Amino acid sequence: MRRKFLGIAMATVMGLSTITGCATTTVEEAGEAEAPAESKTEEAAGDATESTDAGEATEDAGAAEAETSDGSSSDSLTGNGDKTLHVFLYMQEHEKKIYEDLVKQFVDEHKDEIKEVVFEVTTQDEYNQKMIANMTANDMPDVFYVGPAAVRSYVDNGYVLPLDDYVDADTIGSVWGTTQEIYRYDGKDIGKGSLYALPKDLSCFAFAYNQDLFDAAGLDYPDPEKPYTYDEFVEVCEKLTIDKDGDGEIDQWGVANADQWGMTPFLYSNGVKFLNDDMTKVNVANNEQLKEALTFYTDLTKNGLTPSVEQDTALGGYQRWLDGQVAFYACGTWDVAAFMDDATFPYKWNLCGWPVGPSGDGRSHTWMGSVGYGISAKSENPELAAALITKLSTDPEGQKAVSGISTGESIQLPNITDLAYGEFKDAVDSGKVPYASNVDVIFGYFDSNDHYAAALQEFDYTYNAEWWTPFWSGVFNIKNGDITVEDFLQQVEPEMQEALDEAIELQNSATN
Amino acid sequence: MASNKVKPRMSAMAKREERWAWLFIAAPFVGFMLFMAYPIVFALIASTSKWTGINSLWGNIVGLRNYIKILNDAKFWKAMGTTIIYMIGIPIGMILGILVAMGLNRKIPGKRFLTTMYYVPVVSSLVAVSILWAWVFNYDYGLLNGIYKALTGLHGPNWLGDELMVKISLIIFMVWKGLGGTIILYLAGLQNIPRDYYEAAMIDGANSWQKFKSITLPLLSPVTFYVLITSLIGGFQVFVEVQVMTPSGGPNYSAATVVFYLYEKAFTNGQLGYGSAVAVILAIIIFIITAINFWGQDKWVKTID
Repeated sequence: MRRKFLGIAMATVMGLSTITGCATTTVEEAGEAEAPAESKTEEAAGDATESTDAGEATEDAGAAEAETSDGSSSDSLTGNGDKTLHVFLYMQEHEKKIYEDLVKQFVDEHKDEIKEVVFEVTTQDEYNQKMIANMTANDMPDVFYVGPAAVRSYVDNGYVLPLDDYVDADTIGSVWGTTQEIYRYDGKDIGKGSLYALPKDLSCFAFAYNQDLFDAAGLDYPDPEKPYTYDEFVEVCEKLTIDKDGDGEIDQWGVANADQWGMTPFLYSNGVKFLNDDMTKVNVANNEQLKEALTFYTDLTKNGLTPSVEQDTALGGYQRWLDGQVAFYACGTWDVAAFMDDATFPYKWNLCGWPVGPSGDGRSHTWMGSVGYGISAKSENPELAAALITKLSTDPEGQKAVSGISTGESIQLPNITDLAYGEFKDAVDSGKVPYASNVDVIFGYFDSNDHYAAALQEFDYTYNAEWWTPFWSGVFNIKNGDITVEDFLQQVEPEMQEALDEAIELQNSATN
Repeated sequence: MASNKVKPRMSAMAKREERWAWLFIAAPFVGFMLFMAYPIVFALIASTSKWTGINSLWGNIVGLRNYIKILNDAKFWKAMGTTIIYMIGIPIGMILGILVAMGLNRKIPGKRFLTTMYYVPVVSSLVAVSILWAWVFNYDYGLLNGIYKALTGLHGPNWLGDELMVKISLIIFMVWKGLGGTIILYLAGLQNIPRDYYEAAMIDGANSWQKFKSITLPLLSPVTFYVLITSLIGGFQVFVEVQVMTPSGGPNYSAATVVFYLYEKAFTNGQLGYGSAVAVILAIIIFIITAINFWGQDKWVKTID
């Protein structure tokens, strides 16, 4: 009898420990806290709400772990006044120093007002969970990040303050058009109404080529003024896909693509949209532009112009690019600093546009990402908080530091357009800032022109990206020849729609 | 008189002791309430809501809707199936554990060293060894395929990139990782079996197999029971190795476990209510399976007394 009682007791405790998340063996528990770090860092490879972190996407997981375990810090800066601010952000170490200095300057400038500014920085992996904890505990920091995807939820649930009364129009007007738009929301549509955040950065996923491989093949470099068409791109890739050492196996490919982030630019450049205009219906099964673009994209692999699916699981495209095995590879704005570093990437390279499909608008498209500084609706010192985010976002000296004009290392592009087109470009041209000389490609994507255009990914406008997962994670089956493009599109649409419906429902669950 | 005097003094002391007793009880009680009871109740409530962490939990109670959805959720069942398939590793680990433990339970040189070697994976960080094994299993550059190619001249299987192979790979990993713990437990169990049982059996003319079958195995059954229970529970909670070796859940989600699915729902897709419901279902399953085990143990678990 006693044993049975013990049995029930043990079963109960064991069972319930699942709910509370306690692992039953201590060994597993030790690992659990760290585990999410790796996957997130990989996912971050193009997370639109983040830009700077993604360069590390393919770095070894050990680095990510170290960052998680000692990446958080909290600094307290004091003045003689009576106001306090709590700033909570995520950043990488080298960014943190620059922004920390800006906050120190700010405290000095407002010494008589400020009693204390707590500058808390954590890693991207932990940020969302800590923010959820803050929201649940109703203890929001004064200043925190608002990603484009979060604007709607945060506003609907009353977490963020509209900035209209706190930030002057000149400041707002000085940043990239995109970043003026994506943080506006009128309760119904993004892009209209009050402004809820100032940009921390704007980034995009451009395309890059290895000049040395072009030289070796005796090919002309891609024209930054005129991106390749699909056909031209295949032609060039064929010439760059070779067996260098003559052992009968291909060891240099035209291009390598990561389905999760590097596929959409090919598709967008053929006019593809996955959702209808109000983002309520998935349009995949009978989408001719998508069918054409996806066939083109998967044929690159089927025809051997990229490493095979199996080769890709062994060594990702990013590593192969760094190793000089592929001629074209995606280059996020956050990757540029790493590619400019000879120790990381010992090849000459430059930026170019993604190839343009026959059924689009004739322009090369890609996606952009951004994250912004928001102010808590419950902040007791909104004016002070607004002054601080204005400084973080648009202070000229701060922007010169992060963009490399004054530091020689470009962490991000300047938020201020005048600075970008002026001093920054001059510094690039003169070699003061190590940067790919075709930086106009990125500006073209940011500002849209005759050859380039860019937008946020569609899932940045939906509550979560779950609807997108079945698509990108299933595409390798087409490359493997296990399913046709047509069948895949038919098959995946219901699953995507279901996840989208769920996301819409969660989106609408606010303020109930 | 004397007894009258003693009584109040005793009761004062008893009272004091009682106060202390309450304090001693209070520490674990408060701990339990705060870190077990409260989260459990919270998770139970959250599991009936559309809580996202951003919206209000109380304003979004939807009753049993999450549970009904989960029952029709193909991805959940796929993850559950994979979780159960991984449990093939449990009997394999037990058999290997008994064999190695019996091998080590003799006077052989380097016994301590060997025991330590087998135990190293158990004390190593799960994340670290998972990263290591992701390399062992690498298709082009991995240790296994390197050996395979050296021996046969052919390219080895795509360990982590094939729907079937990825399951086999993870089972191999989990058996390797858990073996040391099982061995230590069986070794302790073997050393608790009195030698005179074997002597008596020898006098009766029993051979090694008969001794193993009729003495060793039955008397190890409490250990086997313990290993079974903890492995089953651990088996339902597998997460880290999957997350590290196949960050997106493997090809066509073939490597994902229930806890992996739960994590993805709750923290990647912001469906904390739904994730809580998955956790509750998992807890119920673990409860039932553990209870069945305890009820069934009378049939096969033998003790020396």
